Amino acid sequence: MDNLGRIRREIGPVTPELSDALADHMNIRRGEVHEVVSFYSFLEVPADAVRVCIGPVCDCLGAKDLLAREQENANGVPVLGVECLGHCDIAPVLMRGDVVEPDVTRRTNTGSSLGLEQADQTLAEYEARGGLAVLRNLPAKEKIVEELKASGLTGYGGAGFPTGLKWEAVAKEPAPRYVVVNADEGEPGTIKDRYVMELRPHLMLEGTLIAMDFAEATEGFIYLREEYATARARLEQALEELRAAGVLDGRSLELVIGAGAYICGEETAMLESMEGRRGMPRLKPPFPSQVGYLGRPTLINNVETLAHIPAILRDGGEAWPRVRLWSVTGAVTAPGCYEAPLDVTPRQLIDDYAGGATEEIGAVVPGGAASGILPPAALDVPLTRESLREWNAGPGSAALQVFPASYSPLRLLAETMRFFAEESCQKCTPCRIGNRGMHHLVEELANGEAAMTREQAEEWLDAMAATSICGLGQGAPFPMRNAFTHWPELFEPLGEPAIK
Amino acid sequence: MSSMVRFTLDGREASAPEGELLVHAAARHGVFIPTLCHDDKLDPYGGCRMCVVGVEGSPRPLPACATRVAEGMVVSTNSNVPAFRKTLTEMLLAEHLDPNPGGRPNELTDLAADLDAEAPFILPDAKRKEYEDRNRLMGYTPDACILCNRCVRYTQEVMQCSALSLEGRGPHARIVPTWERSWLDTECELCGGCLSVCPTGAIFEKFLEGTEQPERELVKTKTTCTFCGVGCQLDLNVDPETNRIVKVTSEPHYVSNEGNLCVKGRFAFNFVHHPDRLTKPMVRREDGELHETSWEDALQVAADGLNRVKAEHGPQAIGFLASARLTMEENFLIQKLARSVVGTNSIHSCEAT
Repeated sequence: MDNLGRIRREIGPVTPELSDALADHMNIRRGEVHEVVSFYSFLEVPADAVRVCIGPVCDCLGAKDLLAREQENANGVPVLGVECLGHCDIAPVLMRGDVVEPDVTRRTNTGSSLGLEQADQTLAEYEARGGLAVLRNLPAKEKIVEELKASGLTGYGGAGFPTGLKWEAVAKEPAPRYVVVNADEGEPGTIKDRYVMELRPHLMLEGTLIAMDFAEATEGFIYLREEYATARARLEQALEELRAAGVLDGRSLELVIGAGAYICGEETAMLESMEGRRGMPRLKPPFPSQVGYLGRPTLINNVETLAHIPAILRDGGEAWPRVRLWSVTGAVTAPGCYEAPLDVTPRQLIDDYAGGATEEIGAVVPGGAASGILPPAALDVPLTRESLREWNAGPGSAALQVFPASYSPLRLLAETMRFFAEESCQKCTPCRIGNRGMHHLVEELANGEAAMTREQAEEWLDAMAATSICGLGQGAPFPMRNAFTHWPELFEPLGEPAIK
Repeated sequence: MSSMVRFTLDGREASAPEGELLVHAAARHGVFIPTLCHDDKLDPYGGCRMCVVGVEGSPRPLPACATRVAEGMVVSTNSNVPAFRKTLTEMLLAEHLDPNPGGRPNELTDLAADLDAEAPFILPDAKRKEYEDRNRLMGYTPDACILCNRCVRYTQEVMQCSALSLEGRGPHARIVPTWERSWLDTECELCGGCLSVCPTGAIFEKFLEGTEQPERELVKTKTTCTFCGVGCQLDLNVDPETNRIVKVTSEPHYVSNEGNLCVKGRFAFNFVHHPDRLTKPMVRREDGELHETSWEDALQVAADGLNRVKAEHGPQAIGFLASARLTMEENFLIQKLARSVVGTNSIHSCEAT
């Protein structure tokens, strides 16, 4: 992956000839390199291409017009519509090469756990705020697990697995172990990890180094999505400072840069990608805590999750305020990223943090594409795992996307299913074909046509949820089922629902 | 030998060697679990999901082709599993535009017939980019492919070569020879192993013999390959109407080659029907011409000739030339004949040249 990324940046888009040359140079099969190159969205695209985000938030704020305008004025530079670029707070957004347009702004609040209100420009600034104190005076392993469990911290990438349990499980596996940071933030509407990495890179790195010390791992990796050029620069600078200060002595912590594939945020797909293969999820069990990177026990955590750990160990798990970062985007006055309690409601996030809605609200998505689609009636539901379960939804990656009433739920659903279909790795049947089928169904409904009966559609959704290999296919049915429940009139052409 | 474990299969007590794949353990107990992406020659893949079964304690059904039996496992293949199977078959049919490009059997349409599954629609993006190749032996129709990846894994895991790639992602994914080149311009040796593992016949033998009979209408005769000493077992597939061999196949359970063949074994069978091929013993008589005769007579003529040379010039005047196309046993007999019967050590084989 590293070599392919370098070829793209230093020579140009990866052609069959360059792919073969790399394969011959590395003494691997040409076909295997072909498979990898074609899997990722950007390796065959010039580094200066224009990428217009067509994610759902950008779409509802006019991304298609922006894309058409850019394509008209292309001047020979390729212009691509791409999935969520993680800048939904300034939507609609595009990237010209590595440069984001319009100018990046970061709206956030004062937070007691992450402290994003003040950016750390240097390691010295970070240390002046008490940075590295926890790492330099790390408690015993049992104590760390105890505090993590007491804090109730769960994985903030979306799956929500209890962090304390995960750490405990990895520690029980034999060494050598690895630590991997999941910085492949790609869930549409989610911008929180980018905020952390751009504003407080040292904080996340301290969390990572704590994880490495805990797991007695001498090698760690940060898998960063290619589109986050600013975060990459900030992390590189912070790593250099830590290296110069001797903090990294005896350890290796490296950045691995993705190449445009949402599925690589799935932890086993990420491991495959890191090992130089197509990012196709592995069968679980075994889990990465048992068999991970290069077959070794691997502790994989999300950026934000790690960034909370210094505060938890500093103040104690009980005292930790149980917060997370909420990306609030779409039809709100002040889109941004706000630290707020886990049981905050959509209405509080919109009114108290993001300055209120700009239009009448038609629907909200609580936490990324697969978290569900909720009607305005759900605006006062606490966004916890438990209370959202009653709505057949989940908090996912805490990305509240606010869609105006003028944006049809059918359009939102079509864009969501198109996204899943495009990003499916293709390995398993229910995800590869099920998502395309559901996209087709919704597109046809927009024309008043019924591609299949409601009963058949529910059978397809059941098979997708139950038999898909990874969370992509398993989660994709949620928005469809939510829409069946909350906007039944849209699905009348399909006939009666299945009797269960 | 590995230890036996007990497990429960659809409410019945069952036992299996620890670590056996569930799909095999179930088959030995009379429960057939259909698979499409599984092949015993390849590492478990678990992609098509056709073989999912319920396993107690697992929140989701697990693929029987990739799950190994463990002590106390409780496995169910009835409950909601048949419904998933039917839906997954419908899904595959929704982009299966060309179910029969080359006359090879199609496991997907067989399964669809068994389960009474039909596609509710054809996906608007089902059509894949076509592939044409100038090679004369193998054809490939992407629209018959179900992306089970057996062929690609076969080239990587069994043949250790780079001939086919799983290209792209999402709706654009397809299997294609590396960088869409002609197979002749890749590492491919045209062994045809990829087509032998393809469950839908998307990769197929081009019909050299001008017949398009489906493979199931052909009559199979098992024999040993004549091309080298390995002794691969293969089936000559004969068109009953013309009584000509139209293709060669091999089965995974055949010893020595396990269903694998090389380009010669699989495709170089047309010498059988060549007009120049000698099919009867011939002897050159006094008139200098070849005359058809019986095996007894031909062998007698040869023996008389060898005896005459040996009597006139001694055994060292005789040499034997064996062949790489003989089996090991036949080569052994030739050297036995040379050393023990004739009394010469002058034996050579074309393998050395």
